[in-house]
Amino acid sequence: MGKVCTLSEAVSKYVKSGDTICFGGFTTNRKPYAAVYEILRQGQKDFTVWAGPAGGDWDMMIGEGRVKAYINCYTANSGYTNVSRRFRAAIEAGRLTYEDYSQDVLMLQLHAASLGLPFLPVRLMGGSGLTEFWGISKEERAKLDTVDNDKFVMVDNPFNPGEKVVAVPVPRLDCAVIHVQKASPDGTCIIEGDEFHDVDIAVAAKRTIVTCEELVSDEYIRRDPTLTRIFGQCVDAVVHAPHGAWPAQCYGYYDVDGDAMKEYDKASKYQDAEDAKKQLAKAAEKAAKAAAKAPEDDKAAEKAAKAAAAAKAAEDGSAVPETFRDYMDKWIYSVKTHEELLDKVGASRLIATKNVPGLGYAGKIQ
Amino acid sequence: MSDYKNYTKQEMQAYAIAKNIKENQIVIVGTGLPLIGASLAKRVVCPSCHPIVESGLMDCAPVEVPRSVGDNRFMAHCAVQWPNIRFIGFEANEWLHDVDRLIAFIGGAQIDPFGNVNSTCIGNYHNPKTRFTGSGGANGIATYCNTVIMMQHQKRRFMDHIDYVTSCGWMDGPGGREKAGLPGNRGPQMVVTDLGIMKFDDKTKRMYLAYYYPFSTPEMVQENTGFEVDVSRAQLMEGPNEEIIRVIREEIDPGQAFIKLPKTK
Repeated sequence: MGKVCTLSEAVSKYVKSGDTICFGGFTTNRKPYAAVYEILRQGQKDFTVWAGPAGGDWDMMIGEGRVKAYINCYTANSGYTNVSRRFRAAIEAGRLTYEDYSQDVLMLQLHAASLGLPFLPVRLMGGSGLTEFWGISKEERAKLDTVDNDKFVMVDNPFNPGEKVVAVPVPRLDCAVIHVQKASPDGTCIIEGDEFHDVDIAVAAKRTIVTCEELVSDEYIRRDPTLTRIFGQCVDAVVHAPHGAWPAQCYGYYDVDGDAMKEYDKASKYQDAEDAKKQLAKAAEKAAKAAAKAPEDDKAAEKAAKAAAAAKAAEDGSAVPETFRDYMDKWIYSVKTHEELLDKVGASRLIATKNVPGLGYAGKIQ
Repeated sequence: MSDYKNYTKQEMQAYAIAKNIKENQIVIVGTGLPLIGASLAKRVVCPSCHPIVESGLMDCAPVEVPRSVGDNRFMAHCAVQWPNIRFIGFEANEWLHDVDRLIAFIGGAQIDPFGNVNSTCIGNYHNPKTRFTGSGGANGIATYCNTVIMMQHQKRRFMDHIDYVTSCGWMDGPGGREKAGLPGNRGPQMVVTDLGIMKFDDKTKRMYLAYYYPFSTPEMVQENTGFEVDVSRAQLMEGPNEEIIRVIREEIDPGQAFIKLPKTK
């Protein structure tokens, strides 16, 4: 009892630095952003992450240096950012400890965790780079107590001797964070639309935080038990957080906030103002070289002039583009609570994302 | 009056995709061009097909073009909302039951002559020059399903040795998949690019040019391929008619989310 609490209480009580953790949702759908922001504000870090189909949620955590080991299969705000930019920059700069599985295997691993299996044999990843390369070497793995000693082991199928299958470890989750449409005080959840891996991680994790669009009574939520998807006893904290997936979508409730997705796409190109200056100077240098190589090409000259102007404006501070740091300050650190964030986004903007009945998204009826 | 005669390279590619979807096939699509192609097939070219997406949404019939495979635009207009793990199980069981109904569209940054595809990184995996998203559902799809690979036709993308094999093709040639423990009776069927359609030789499993488009030539294809490609069997594929282009522009992607209109001069 007493599971209903504030976001701040839920996160401070159930998310700990060093946790092995997984967020629910799928790239830009039903991502538990309100809770992600609260974790960012509170400062928990050193996470070992089993990222399902991730997007801005884990990109922000990576950009903020909160990730110790990133076990992943896909990281993108699909349709807005094809490869999440802080994720990409961290890998290209050699700043991130990461492991790659295929999405199939990673989702099956999370499911295996929900089933309590000791390990998981799959007929996947064979012959590919996913079995040829280890993102985290055996030596590094030995030093990380939250990461299994092997990425995978080739084993003989005991029921079909001679057949080699790929055995993979099963995640041991400390914490799961999911956003659902409806929850009740005893922790029972209704997820509308695709459940993704959310039910799996809610069962598998030692601690589960649920944020919900609507907090309804225990009686109301079990009026039709065909709709409930998570047993309340798997849930530790229930937080009422309307629009808690913003700027992602929430089936039956609202669509993606495209403007916020586009803003993040542009801003996340640069870690901070220093990085923007550096990158713009580099781009200007490159454009100048290209223009020098093709003196007759007017377009190249125009491009070089534009790049030079952008670099200069960033350098002298007259026009520094919005950066990841700015975005994080604007939408996360400058507000104290989820409610303050909603006020900042604004009612009309949130209403514009409301799903149109019959369409299931915020489309135009003509 | 709108002009539907001046189709673009991308529209030709979408049409090529649609033309290669067969009656009653279950079509695994992602977003972008494959979705436009599958939508075109569903509406005009091959209405009996069943588009599905790796997030687990089955028999999708989106009204507006979705931006991701988990988009509400798919979710609100499909037959079943399965979690991803059911999709994986379905894919594997189709192979275990030895039925051949699936055709999947995948894309990538690099491809080799045997249709092995890289969508993970350029350069060394541990210290890459460019990092991409990684596998997503592509590895599993390429393991169990026949695939159509979507590529931009450029020399730096069609290369003898790719930096990382995210999705297995025919590996190193005949018997390569079996040696790697992969289903030998599944694999890449063709590569659809902005210059033509490559298929794989039955004996050697190497890519050859099967079709070029009205605006491309076999020579252009060879020039833009980083390895020797047999063009001796190449035939011309006719372009789409005006009705096809009208459907793409007015019904499937009116917002030009994935296919831009040709530039007017």
